[in-house]
Amino acid sequence: MRKKSGSAWRSILKRVFLVLVTGGLLLSVSAAYAQPYDLLLDGGHLIDPKNGIDEPMDVAIAGDSIAEIAPQISPGSAGRIIDVSGLYVTPGIIDMHTHVFHGTDPDAYIADAHVSVAPDGFTFRSGVTTVVDAGSAGWKNFRTLKAQTIDRADTRVLAFLNIVGVGMVGRYEEQNVADMNPEMTALMINELFPDILVGIKSAHYWGDFTQVERAVEAGNRAGVPVMVDFGEHDPPLSLETLLMDKLRPGDIFTHTYSYTRGREAVVDEEFNVKPYVFKAQERGVLFDVGHGGGSLIWHQVIPSMEQQFWPDVISSDLHTASMNGGMKNMANLMSKFLNMEMPLAEVILRSTWTPARVIGREDLGHLGRGAGADVAVFRLKEGDFGFLDARGRTMRGSRKLEAELTLRDGRVVWDLNGRAAPSWEEEPRRY
Amino acid sequence: MAHAGFMQADTDADRIRWHVLRVMLVVLILVPGLGSASAIAQPYDLLLKGGQVIDPKNGMNGPMDLAITGERIARVATDIPASEAVTVIDASGLYVAPGLIDPHAHVFFGSDPGKSFAGGTGSVAPDAFSFRSGVTTVVDAGDAGWRNFPEFKRRVIDESETRVLAFLNIFGDGLTSGSGRYQMDDINIDKIRAMIQAHPDLIVGMRVGHFLGESWRPVESALQAARGTGRPLLLECHLPGLPLSGLLERIRPGDIVTHAFGEVSDRTPILDENGQLRPYVREAREKGILFDVGPGGGSFHFSQAIPALRQGLWPDTFGTDLHRYSMNGPMKNMLNILSTYLNLGMSLEDVIAGGTWKAARAIQRSDLGHLDEGTVADVVVLARRTGEYGYVDSGGTRISGDEKLEAALTLRAGRVVWDQNGLAATPREDEE
Repeated sequence: MRKKSGSAWRSILKRVFLVLVTGGLLLSVSAAYAQPYDLLLDGGHLIDPKNGIDEPMDVAIAGDSIAEIAPQISPGSAGRIIDVSGLYVTPGIIDMHTHVFHGTDPDAYIADAHVSVAPDGFTFRSGVTTVVDAGSAGWKNFRTLKAQTIDRADTRVLAFLNIVGVGMVGRYEEQNVADMNPEMTALMINELFPDILVGIKSAHYWGDFTQVERAVEAGNRAGVPVMVDFGEHDPPLSLETLLMDKLRPGDIFTHTYSYTRGREAVVDEEFNVKPYVFKAQERGVLFDVGHGGGSLIWHQVIPSMEQQFWPDVISSDLHTASMNGGMKNMANLMSKFLNMEMPLAEVILRSTWTPARVIGREDLGHLGRGAGADVAVFRLKEGDFGFLDARGRTMRGSRKLEAELTLRDGRVVWDLNGRAAPSWEEEPRRY
Repeated sequence: MAHAGFMQADTDADRIRWHVLRVMLVVLILVPGLGSASAIAQPYDLLLKGGQVIDPKNGMNGPMDLAITGERIARVATDIPASEAVTVIDASGLYVAPGLIDPHAHVFFGSDPGKSFAGGTGSVAPDAFSFRSGVTTVVDAGDAGWRNFPEFKRRVIDESETRVLAFLNIFGDGLTSGSGRYQMDDINIDKIRAMIQAHPDLIVGMRVGHFLGESWRPVESALQAARGTGRPLLLECHLPGLPLSGLLERIRPGDIVTHAFGEVSDRTPILDENGQLRPYVREAREKGILFDVGPGGGSFHFSQAIPALRQGLWPDTFGTDLHRYSMNGPMKNMLNILSTYLNLGMSLEDVIAGGTWKAARAIQRSDLGHLDEGTVADVVVLARRTGEYGYVDSGGTRISGDEKLEAALTLRAGRVVWDQNGLAATPREDEE
């Protein structure tokens, strides 16, 4: 064995030293800058009804998912920190009843036409990250809805497929029993677009129970719920028959608190909730708000709320005739229920986790670890507010939700007051 | 009620109507000679009472009531009796101003993904954004050219509740593509002139935008068309292929440069390397060229806007450049831009002037943007909120502020089209 010269040993030692130092430095650098999270919502009050959370909690996001929920998450662990103290953090709101099949067909009204709206202008600014189109399209024109709205929106857009093949082209087309095809409707849902189509819509039909029956038949074939917009019958058909005999547990009755010719109301002349309405809710029929332009009336909803007949789902029925009226947006609508003494956590439940379950999308509507980072951050404003119903009557209220920040898949898509932005003086001038 | 058995009335409005009818009946019976006087004494439909009226055209900024009959402003005066109107709206603590005019929006909305702004999904439906932020008039910034203007009119202008006016694009197909690669031979002055003559009340001027070339021809042709029809030209302050100095030299007093406070790479901003307003920008301002904000998705930077205003260059008008890519970003809506400038130190009266009368004058529509008696009743009632707010520029940087304007009520031709808190509504039945 040859003895290494002193200089050779020194050289080896030097190299070992160098490797050790470099490695150590790298390790310590990576430790100091190890930021497992991209974004930290710091200091907010988390309401996540699915997970039973209603308390101060930090929320950390990595990529497009929720990475950690804990009372204290170190600010050093996130690349970006947004101070949400004094604000409520909730799952992104799911609006289960909208009309977003906007388009330019001059002969149509909701399907590919002017009464529907483009979702992104309404959603994020009110904390909504998912909308469900309520039957604007049927199996014949769903691909157009997908191409024009669903594939182009930043909002997640799901849909109930109308039992009428051409969807909501016009009131007359919607009477066409020959175009109510359960088999094609079910095929479209199960075979072609199972990730987008969450149920079946029955609406605007003047005849007997045929349309509801066809929709339920399609629902049985596809294994999805049916949402019914019931009414426009002269004389009105029996609401009790619909709720107790025709709809299945898990099916949805929408426009619950409307008051209109052609549909029996949920309360009687003395403003008492009809007994069969409670029974229907007990047997699992779900009651949806579907505010719209004409379907939330104070003298229906206030007695109902007082008698503990609460909606299962709070939804907007957004379209051009509701966007500038009493409905306005989901934050405004949720605030109405808040001011009718529904606790905030119950309001959030009915606009996140419950609709997610109703449409069979349990991946949505909650903020458990690993869930997609669709998040809403609300300010609960105190003051003197007024809320309009569809008849132009007001209810005064003292609390109002305002969407301060909205994340969709971890990305900031609405930032009302620039919470996520640095001061302009901190940015280097570019010229 | 004294005459409870006389007539069954079920709302306050009905009661007042019956009351007014009875009064008129008495007047007609007792004073038959005053036929014409009783016509003048007819009640107002709507009275905004107790607000602070700001009407920059008339130099008005004070406590004043505003009465509306039908579609028109009937009277602006102190202490108009509540009994003279069918509906009385309590505007105390609020500001009453002319409906806002957004001189830069993209509203030729449609569903054709290949058509960006002209009938495509880049543009937005005006009614979904206007009334909720106090806007009653939007001016489309050249989505349509002479070839597709009739389609724009049929599909958007005629179908919207918002008043929609337009700058006509110099190119025949308008903003069909975001690429800026336009056919020079698609400029046809005769067709443009004919289209303006066919719609003189809708087309307020010419527009050059999204042009990336190095030819002066579009700007010069647009100037020619604008000059020939007595209308202004709206053009981007910073075109990449054309020097700012040449642009400002060519255009005339009354022409409008938009995106004025943008700082975009490869384009000349209004400030020089030392943060000073370029001399030719100052000269342009002095000769009467108008500077519009137009933040859009990427054209408003505090690094330009704040030094500019410190050197005296305040914006003349507050165009939004509303479209799909600005609606959810820092721009948000026109009131957010007004609020930004309010927090940068502009007075409320000045931001309202820029949002109303100055904008009306810029588009040569002196029938709009003020509250003269007899004018169409486009009115906004604004709440001036105090709190902790933030405003953001296109670079994602922020200023903090303590004020924010909010549209409490918007009237379009005398009709309530937005009512944030039910100011104009009756209480719910069980609270009457």
